[in-house]
Amino acid sequence: MNVRRVVKWTLGVLLVLVVVGFLAFLYLIPPFTLMAPEAFSGPEIAAADAVKIDAITDPKTRALAERGKYIVVATGCVDCHAPPSAAGPDFARYMAGGLKTAVRGHGTFVSANLTADRQYGLGRRTDEDVLRVLRSGVSADGGRQLWYRDMPWAWTANWTEEDRVAVLTYLRQIPAIAHKIPPPSSEAVMTYDTAAIEEGSTVNAGTTP
Amino acid sequence: MRVLCSVLLISSVGLCGVASAQTAGKAIYDERCAQCHGVDGRGNGAAAPVLMPRPRDFAAAQFKLRTTETGSLPTDDDLIRAITYGVPGTSMPGWQKFLSTSDIAAVATYIKSFSTRFAAERPQSIPTVAASVPGAPTPQTVAAGKAVYEKLRCAACHGTDGRGTGAIATDLKDDAGRPLPATNLTEPWTFRGGATPQDVYLRFRTGMNGTPMPSFVTAASETELRNLAAYVLTLARKPVWDMTAEDVTAFYKAQAAEAERDPVRHGRYIVSTIGCTFCHTPVRADGSLVDGMVFAGGQKWTAAPFGDFVSYNLTSDKETGLGGWTDDQIKAVLTKGIRPDGSRMLPFPMPWPSYASLTASDLSAIVAYLRTIPPISNRIPAPTRPNIVSYLWGKFQLLILKKDMPLVAYPGNAGSAGGV
Repeated sequence: MNVRRVVKWTLGVLLVLVVVGFLAFLYLIPPFTLMAPEAFSGPEIAAADAVKIDAITDPKTRALAERGKYIVVATGCVDCHAPPSAAGPDFARYMAGGLKTAVRGHGTFVSANLTADRQYGLGRRTDEDVLRVLRSGVSADGGRQLWYRDMPWAWTANWTEEDRVAVLTYLRQIPAIAHKIPPPSSEAVMTYDTAAIEEGSTVNAGTTP
Repeated sequence: MRVLCSVLLISSVGLCGVASAQTAGKAIYDERCAQCHGVDGRGNGAAAPVLMPRPRDFAAAQFKLRTTETGSLPTDDDLIRAITYGVPGTSMPGWQKFLSTSDIAAVATYIKSFSTRFAAERPQSIPTVAASVPGAPTPQTVAAGKAVYEKLRCAACHGTDGRGTGAIATDLKDDAGRPLPATNLTEPWTFRGGATPQDVYLRFRTGMNGTPMPSFVTAASETELRNLAAYVLTLARKPVWDMTAEDVTAFYKAQAAEAERDPVRHGRYIVSTIGCTFCHTPVRADGSLVDGMVFAGGQKWTAAPFGDFVSYNLTSDKETGLGGWTDDQIKAVLTKGIRPDGSRMLPFPMPWPSYASLTASDLSAIVAYLRTIPPISNRIPAPTRPNIVSYLWGKFQLLILKKDMPLVAYPGNAGSAGGV
């Protein structure tokens, strides 16, 4: 008799603990407001540091890349150009793209792969193609002007041409990641709220071929 | 249109040609030009309020880049040149890679329909411009040009060294009353109308209508203006892509020193590029930024399941903006996501983790510039959190069901000023 009671109570307590623990888990994870601020900025800076610009042999390219890196990190390009996840950008796949944004009246866009990949990344674009997007938002694909709330070119347009060249120099150093980005679609599907003007997904829309 | 044109073919061939070019031009314009210049050509497109310089207002019909007398309209070729090759130092791209010459001509025709001036007036060409070809600069013409630079008091705006830091340069405004910095004459790759001796001479001869840059046609002779162009081009420095490695390093060092000397100017540059106004400006349902409310905040975002967030008022308003904040409070939000009351922000939608990498002097420059933004009263509501049950349910969907929980932006002004 006693054994059964002990088992019953133990199971009951365990069950309560599991439920409370699970609710606590839901409440606290990810523990955004419990983590030190540096825990958020750190990984972003570390991901940018992983791009080996110190190894560039040409001192001028190195100086430009360093300036470019500073601008790219502070501007937060990676916030959109890293594959998204429920816990924020996936810095391990630095600048590989894949964030889907639906913009009312303009369609659905997926952030570009900015790595050196020659098939899916910036490796397939000329310098002028990249500079033109940063200056005017005009894409090499048919000269379509990207919507400024999708790719925020209206701000990168205000960079001096010298800073844009520095940014380009840094971007050129990012190691290739084969991450295929789907083309834009003209239909914006608002999944969350019909009053919204734009929605940024937490699910990576890119694929690894 | 085509039927109408066939019917009227005999009587008005010319008119129909213009009308169909306008239709073709409108389709191209609406797709490729309207985001900056606005569908009605008023230079008020969706992205216009944050662009520096502002896109051209075709309805006002004041054009900077002409081969015609000051105050006159540009020729068709002037318009076509700007569309074909773009405007250096601005976000206006050259379209030659993507549009045919007939497409570009159609757009130019359509642009002319935004103002009645084009129907009523003819561009006044300058006969001597096409005829005279500038000779190569010589030490004599450059020295003579320097005297003209002094005589015409170019330094009042452009500075004695040409760097655009002349005495009255900080107060310059365009015809619409918007601040417009004097062109830095040491950076010819940013010259809007190009940097050949002929291009530079033309700006002196024709003036840049709509801006404080006048025509000097009555103040100086043709030869004097030619010499001035020769002199101005000697002020040029090398751009970083043409410098040596040592020069690049020295250039960045000098730039940093200058930023310390003039933090407001430097802070304005950083803020205009880093995207603050993407969120800290209300947006209309059509996605356009609200002119006159730039920096006033009020854009609502939902980060489910964490709650609703409204972008803060960054103007210097004492009650509702940053006017009452200390420098350190602004920096703590920018780099650590800690509000003045000590509460913590999520790492999104405000991307403070990115701003954490800004240098101390850049941060101070940003603060110095934000202090100069004229106050706009727009009280921003505090973030709202969902009740505990929907919070836990949302977290369950996000973490266990792996449901997509998008970050969502809304149109309108959620602040007290409303009105959008």
